[in-house]
Amino acid sequence: MSGAPIGRWGPLSGTIAPMNVVVCVKQIPDPAAPAALDAQSHTLVREGKLILDDSDAYGVEMGLQLAAEDGEVTLVSMAPNGEVSGLRTGLAMGAAKAILVSDGALKGSDALSTAKVLAKAIERAQPDLVIAATESTDGYTGTTPVQIAELLGMPSVTFAKKISVANGSVRVERQTEAGYDEVECPLPCVVTVTAGVVEPRYPSFKGIMAAKSKPVDQLTVADLGLDASSVGWAGAGQEITGVAAAEERGAGELVVDEGDAHERIVAFLEQLKLV
Amino acid sequence: MFEWSEEQQAVRSAVRRFVEAEIAPRVDELEHGDVPPYDVIRSLYRTFGMDQLARDRFERTLAQRRAVEASGASAQPSGDGDGDGVRRGDGGAAALTLVPIVELCRYCPGIVTAMGVSIGLAAGTIMRRGTADQMERWGRDLVTFDTVGAWAITEPNSGSDALGGMQATARETGDGYVLNGNKTFITNGPFADTIVFYAKLDDGSDTPMRSRPVLTFVLDRGMPGLEQSAPFRKMGLHSSPTGELFLSDVEVGPDRLLGSAGQAASGEGRQSAKDNFVTERAGVAAMALGVIEQCLSLSVAYAKDRMLWGKAIADLQLIQLKLARMEVARLNVENLVFRHIEMEAAGRSLSLAEASAMKLYSAQAATEVAMEAVQLMGGNGYMADYRVEQLARDAKVFQIYAGTDEIQVTHIARDLLAR
Ligand SMILES: Cc1cc2nc3c(=O)[nH]c(=O)nc-3n(C[C@H](O)[C@H](O)[C@H](O)COP(=O)(O)OP(=O)(O)OC[C@H]3O[C@@H](n4cnc5c(N)ncnc54)[C@H](O)[C@@H]3O)c2cc1C
Ligand SMILES: Cc1cc2nc3c(=O)[nH]c(=O)nc-3n(C[C@H](O)[C@H](O)[C@H](O)COP(=O)(O)OP(=O)(O)OC[C@H]3O[C@@H](n4cnc5c(N)ncnc54)[C@H](O)[C@@H]3O)c2cc1C
Repeated sequence: MSGAPIGRWGPLSGTIAPMNVVVCVKQIPDPAAPAALDAQSHTLVREGKLILDDSDAYGVEMGLQLAAEDGEVTLVSMAPNGEVSGLRTGLAMGAAKAILVSDGALKGSDALSTAKVLAKAIERAQPDLVIAATESTDGYTGTTPVQIAELLGMPSVTFAKKISVANGSVRVERQTEAGYDEVECPLPCVVTVTAGVVEPRYPSFKGIMAAKSKPVDQLTVADLGLDASSVGWAGAGQEITGVAAAEERGAGELVVDEGDAHERIVAFLEQLKLV
Repeated sequence: MFEWSEEQQAVRSAVRRFVEAEIAPRVDELEHGDVPPYDVIRSLYRTFGMDQLARDRFERTLAQRRAVEASGASAQPSGDGDGDGVRRGDGGAAALTLVPIVELCRYCPGIVTAMGVSIGLAAGTIMRRGTADQMERWGRDLVTFDTVGAWAITEPNSGSDALGGMQATARETGDGYVLNGNKTFITNGPFADTIVFYAKLDDGSDTPMRSRPVLTFVLDRGMPGLEQSAPFRKMGLHSSPTGELFLSDVEVGPDRLLGSAGQAASGEGRQSAKDNFVTERAGVAAMALGVIEQCLSLSVAYAKDRMLWGKAIADLQLIQLKLARMEVARLNVENLVFRHIEMEAAGRSLSLAEASAMKLYSAQAATEVAMEAVQLMGGNGYMADYRVEQLARDAKVFQIYAGTDEIQVTHIARDLLAR
């Protein structure tokens, strides 16, 4: 049936309670613009305008489909300088509201501190389901979501390519190298979605106009009841001690086809133990 | 206003994403005339909810028109859709139309022409001048692009002199009119479902042709005696089908005469045609901006990349001059577009002379910038793969349609000399 939320599988017995979905969205410097590292801290410079990480657009789309008409999507983000542009994009797509944590004390936060902050913010929204991307585009440690799950005491499922919800649990097709695993897990839980698994909708003009009046709850570290010494530079358990340029790629090997090119390519791949 | 607002930027980036994903990869098909542009336009309308916005606005305008008619007054033409003759600011809504125009024109000005003529001219004329019944009958589907409209004034023997030199006739019969005449260069002519058609009244009197009233009719595809030609071959703008219309003894009832009978007979067709001038000219400026922005950014990238004499051509001062002139054009045209948006938001409009000046400058600037982009890229610039040759061929039409450069000059001069 067209228009039905894809992902929910049914027939469902009885009525389902409206889904309250939190989607973590990271706001990052535009990847199209050249990135810069701070010379001293070796961290990414995040001074300019930030945008919604493309990786998270899939999560927002997934969340909107699962929440459908009667549920609701809340966006949660931690970003410097009260940045809301990326959140507005998600709100224009259809999310109902957002929570933004922004605080000078968060500068220098590592993935664990980020997770602590996000977990506290997520708690406020009392979600049935938390969605994040498998990894962000700029930092891509891929560790934040599982740390959030641990801090919230929720189970987590990673690499989802399809999510459906029924009867208080979530069923996930979890991408593997060979294909996918089917995993079932009770709600509430944290699920990370892989890029490209859904087609993020375009925000309608009406959605864009409505986004600016949707509520964005702006919070500080103190509002969350966190100790400033446990986050930011102060709380970082890791430090980037140096950054080196990647080695130049060596010249490739040119295979000129004299009838045996396929054999030579196979031999080359065998030598690399790739086949 | 010196830059697009946050909200306008959000619209721009959403439309840009759509254009780059859905239109840019298909420009060749569209340009080679293999597919008419209408499905792409409908998909744009649906994707961004432009159809729903248009439907909502349509219902409001219709309700107001009905109320006015019920009160016994004749429908007053109004540009702002409020039907009460009072001009209000549009709250910046003009930008919601112009931003997509700019973005589309980076790749395909033809789509904008096909869309603009149907929505702006055909639907626009019906919604401004039509009775409530006529709005329902033709306007409802045109405003959402469910149907395609054409707007036919130009004839083989009258272009710049369209109103005076018009030879198409509407002969009064007891219960309606019989239409005859040919129209040419009609955008969407080959495919239009609904055609707004202008003709001179023939009431049997000996009024000289030039001074006869101009009447406006609405025609449907397939009417007996109406022939729609195949698309012309053109220099550019291939994504916009252009053709001829041939009318021989097309019989129409008074229901197809646009507006209430009394007004129509007084020849308000002349004013109806002129109503569109300001919006149309502002639209062309936004189109020019899209072409200029694209040519400039492709040129900057190319200049930095192309190595000659052991260095990038961007280091050559003659190349820098081209880039600098492109940037000057971009700033000027952008400022003109911003001025138009600001004035609409304030409930005011450019005067005809100002709109003409804007159109004249923008059209020339776009053509020059696109031609210079071709020049900057040398042989590559002349090749289709590098895209600027298409934009150069497309931009040239900005100096011809919606009033030629020369006609804009006469409008500006007339205003200056009347002071
Ligand atoms: C150049 C560079 C320098 C760095 N310097 C330091 C440093 O000095 N010390 C240090 O400890 N760490 C440092 N980091 C790590 C950085 O702080 C982490 O990148 C960040 O905390 C989040 O991790 P991630 O981007 O790897 O997210 P991932 O774990 O890859 O993110 C997965 C998903 O989690 C969610 N998510 C992650 N972050 C947020 C957020 N802020 N708001 C909302 N949702 C989010 C999103 O859905 C995201 O897609 C550095 C990273 C880089 C790239
Ligand atoms: C792609 C395309 C789409 C079009 N779509 C439509 C459409 O949808 N509907 C429609 O009705 N028409 C349409 N037109 C027609 C367009 O509006 C006319 O081509 C335009 O108005 C010029 O008329 P013309 O071609 O007859 O040129 P002419 O009027 O014959 O002009 C010839 C030359 O004389 C110059 N000239 C004319 N008068 C003066 C003057 N007073 N002083 C100095 N020079 C003068 C002109 O500038 C021009 O250089 C379209 C044209 C094109 C090319």
